[in-house]
Amino acid sequence: MENKLTVKNLRISFRTSNGKVQAVRDISFDLAKGETLAIVGESGSGKSVTSKAILGILAGNSIVESGEIIYDGKDLLKISEEDFHKIRGDKIAMIFQDPMSSLNPIVRIGKQLTEAMLLKGKARQRESKKTFNSYLKSLNEAMIKNNPSEADRLTESCKKFDKFEFKHIELESAYKKAKEAADENTDDIDKIAFELEKKSAGKDAVDRLKDIAKQAKDSLNTYVIDPAKYENEIKTLSSKLLPTFKAARKSLEYRPVLDILYRIRELTTEAEGKPIPNFFRMGYYLTFSGKELPDMPVEEMNAYMKDYLDKDFMLAFISDAEGALKYSANETYGNMKEAITALNAALSVYSKENLDMKESYDTQKSLAAVVKKAIDPLAIVKDSLSFTFAPSLKSEVDSYFNGIAANKKALKKYARDKKKYDRIIASGKQAGWELAEPNVTDLELVKENISRLIHRLIDHYDEALAAADSRNYDAETVDVINYLMTNASGVVDKVTRRIAKHRAIKLMDEVGIAEPHKRYRQYPFEFSGGMRQRIVIAIALAANPDILICDEPTTALDVTIQSQILELINRLKEERQLSVIFITHDLGVVANMADRVAVMYAGKIVEYGTSEDIFYHSAHPYTWALLSSMPDLDTNEKLEAIPGTPPNMIYPPKGDAFAPRNKYAMQIDFERQPPMFKITDTHYAATWLLHPDAPKVDPPKAVVDRIARMNSKRGIKDE
Amino acid sequence: MNDRETLLQVSHLCQYFKAGSFTTKAVDDVSFDIKKGEVFGLVGESGCGKTTTGRSIIKLYNITSGDVIFKGIRICAGVQSYKDAIANAKKEYAENIKKPGADQAKLKAELDKFVAEQREQIKAAKNDQKNCDKEYSAKRVKEINEKYKPLIESAKPDERAKLEKEYRDELRKARNTKLVTQIQMIFQDPIASLDPRMTVREIIAEGLVIQGERDKKVIDEKVYEMLELVGLVREHASRYPHEFSGGQRQRIGVARSIIMRPELIIADEPVSALDVSVQAQVINLLNDLRDRFGLTILFIAHDLSVVKYFSDRIGVMYYGKMVELADSDELFAHPIHPYTKSLLSAIPLPDPIYEKARKRIVYNPLAEHDYSVDKPTFREVRPGHFVQCNEAEYQKIMAELQSETA
Repeated sequence: MENKLTVKNLRISFRTSNGKVQAVRDISFDLAKGETLAIVGESGSGKSVTSKAILGILAGNSIVESGEIIYDGKDLLKISEEDFHKIRGDKIAMIFQDPMSSLNPIVRIGKQLTEAMLLKGKARQRESKKTFNSYLKSLNEAMIKNNPSEADRLTESCKKFDKFEFKHIELESAYKKAKEAADENTDDIDKIAFELEKKSAGKDAVDRLKDIAKQAKDSLNTYVIDPAKYENEIKTLSSKLLPTFKAARKSLEYRPVLDILYRIRELTTEAEGKPIPNFFRMGYYLTFSGKELPDMPVEEMNAYMKDYLDKDFMLAFISDAEGALKYSANETYGNMKEAITALNAALSVYSKENLDMKESYDTQKSLAAVVKKAIDPLAIVKDSLSFTFAPSLKSEVDSYFNGIAANKKALKKYARDKKKYDRIIASGKQAGWELAEPNVTDLELVKENISRLIHRLIDHYDEALAAADSRNYDAETVDVINYLMTNASGVVDKVTRRIAKHRAIKLMDEVGIAEPHKRYRQYPFEFSGGMRQRIVIAIALAANPDILICDEPTTALDVTIQSQILELINRLKEERQLSVIFITHDLGVVANMADRVAVMYAGKIVEYGTSEDIFYHSAHPYTWALLSSMPDLDTNEKLEAIPGTPPNMIYPPKGDAFAPRNKYAMQIDFERQPPMFKITDTHYAATWLLHPDAPKVDPPKAVVDRIARMNSKRGIKDE
Repeated sequence: MNDRETLLQVSHLCQYFKAGSFTTKAVDDVSFDIKKGEVFGLVGESGCGKTTTGRSIIKLYNITSGDVIFKGIRICAGVQSYKDAIANAKKEYAENIKKPGADQAKLKAELDKFVAEQREQIKAAKNDQKNCDKEYSAKRVKEINEKYKPLIESAKPDERAKLEKEYRDELRKARNTKLVTQIQMIFQDPIASLDPRMTVREIIAEGLVIQGERDKKVIDEKVYEMLELVGLVREHASRYPHEFSGGQRQRIGVARSIIMRPELIIADEPVSALDVSVQAQVINLLNDLRDRFGLTILFIAHDLSVVKYFSDRIGVMYYGKMVELADSDELFAHPIHPYTKSLLSAIPLPDPIYEKARKRIVYNPLAEHDYSVDKPTFREVRPGHFVQCNEAEYQKIMAELQSETA
């Protein structure tokens, strides 16, 4: 299975006034796609710290001592805050323990739900538009330079690409509008049908029916694929609606009106269930051939379009794009080679003892230009790293010279003093005073930074040049085209306030909030704890994340709500192929949710395995203690509480951290930390009890009894 | 169980809150009684009125209607039901009097009599609500007088001074005593329920001080005793709450509530905010204390495994109404009300295979019941097992039970 997230040897500690608290000590785990990993442990065992590290929201006094968190090929501990903005909330979302403190008390629920959608939507659209245009533009330029004789044709084809993107926007927005109309239609139909059945349709019924008739006509767009089938029926239905109602009011027999309404609803829902057409391809078809759309179902049409798209224009466009890529790559390589020599020269300049101001300014100016020139214009959009080199170089150098400028007087004084001092020394006398260094020590650091940056640039270019031969232009061109397509859909994905509200209400409905229309306008304090938690879940899901981190989401909720929310998370996990990290101390919940379980104690993972491993074949005394301290429905005897408290992590114990509270502890537990023993391929535990020389110990009676009870119950069920 | 003395009796308790134009019925006609020495569990989802019931009993709210009788003394009484009765009677009278041939004088006399009766009830209720503490302290004063007066008279002159001082102290305490102090509460959130600016000693001793205990030595001794009882040590007395872990804080809350030697403890979700291991510690502690002092506990919680483990009888609440009440084993073995069934089907157990197969039963009151004509009441379907149902449902349940036993 594909790994979504890998945590390796993570070690985090916190600076406090009393010393360094070692919160997480060397933990490693991975998370597959569509899998739930539960992290279990007492409070203070480092569960939450781990999850916060993944989300990059550790407190200011934290120190990440070692390790890496790899998501999507990137180490989350090393990327910049700017890049993290794109991941946090969007790709990795979190549900916090306390819903009240993660909601703003003075802002209505609706606003909080839609806020992220609107902001993200706007930002995404703006960004997509920008990148789409710049990408297309640079591609076009490269194409023309590559093949000047056919410049006109190439410009034309780029324009065409732009045009059918435009067409596809129109189609998609029309579809969206129609869908919305259809959606509202069903709601309205339900309401009015209810009133009609009760035969108490009021004055506004006529208005409502008018609306429905109008919207039904609007929602015709939904059938943009095969309109002929529905056109007549819907048209006749909506035109019949009002006269039938007028007649019905006289006879007080509303049956015919209801029939029409139900038929409209049927058609609408039928359309809703239809697969969504690929508007990009349809847009292409419409622009390129200019013909009317044929009457065919969506799947067939998509297949047909794909065929058409592959054969004709697209092939030509792809080959052109490939040429353009090659051309721009060659150009860049040449520039890179130049840049490397320039950079090497600059390095020698900056490593000089005394920098001449003017010389440095000139070097910096020329260098920035060379670096900028060496950047591959087609890679800019995908690789923002290279884009940052030139400006950062400029800012580093600027700050260096600003520092010198500020210290001009001190430097002059130092030079005077130095002269004097040297004179005294040269005359064979001993100076009565020490020569104070000028206050430029931090400038040395900046100088070092500059040379480091230049080194990095050289490395980067070297790497690019070395990889030049193995570059696969075919694959890259496909990437480029795909990139254009996704960006094109991003341009279309316009989130208006109304759509956001609609989506939010749907989401609220999805997470089980009754009367979402009314609730939308309320404040957080008007909700009960369970409802608040649902809102938080809805907010977390609004961005459609990849990984969902749930930090004790149900601890404050009662069983029915807890059960509902767990079901909700499970369902969403199935539907969206989410990977979930579930943090809790409730083992019942873990049994429900987890595919795999990691038991944490004092910043370490002490047992790690599938949920069957942990619950039926647990091996670590701490897991036993957790299992036996929890009552179930058949427990009658006294609960076995874990004595004592977790250790103070400012002074972590030398041996096994659980040893002082462990009744199975042996001498070695106090002296050396146990390694991870492998029990099966999926099951690991860190306890000396698993060492071949250790005495054989049985799990506590409560655990054994419970497993026996469970098994016997199941046996009865199976019969 | 049944032969034991009833300690607390709650009958037809209603607690409404007015919010603008509409009234929220937080607790609506809830009746139950708690025998001496038993643990009565109250479960239900959040917002169903469990906590409000607990708080109404301890007089944190003025109840709307119904009675709460503790140790034979009515400590809370609501008057709304009497007022409603008067209003109804007047309306009826207004209708009856319009009928042809109505005996106006007789009707009027009947109405007046009824209204006077109800007014009397209201007066009694208000009086009880106000004076229950006074009565109780008067009783205590009388007891102490009876105990000490002869002692002092018969005492030797050298012991007399000491006895008289003791007598004065006791008398002062007795005058300050309130009946409600016999009911103590343990709160859900150990952080929020402890004053951060008071030491543990001050927190635990607060009740004693209010009651009139002035001797520092006695207070200290009692505080230390309580601390040791709940598994803390003497040195903890001079610390502040923030220096303790969650489990220890909850222990302080327990110590504070038992120092008054209450007969009834209302434990409002005492373990919900705690870790599993700490939760087990606190439950064990409560169990120990209960065995030791014969405490009666009203245990409010939403974790059903804990409630099942801890309680003798369980009441299930749903939207302000008690829907089912039975012995805990009986309730879990034979749930009858659909809401209870749905609640039981939602309990997560530490058993992955069972959990993956578990199906939650959804409870939809509108689909389950038809109460448009026949209103439901609380009926006994088995000895000690009560269910909220109407006549049709009652017949169905009885038929099912009979077929089961047959």
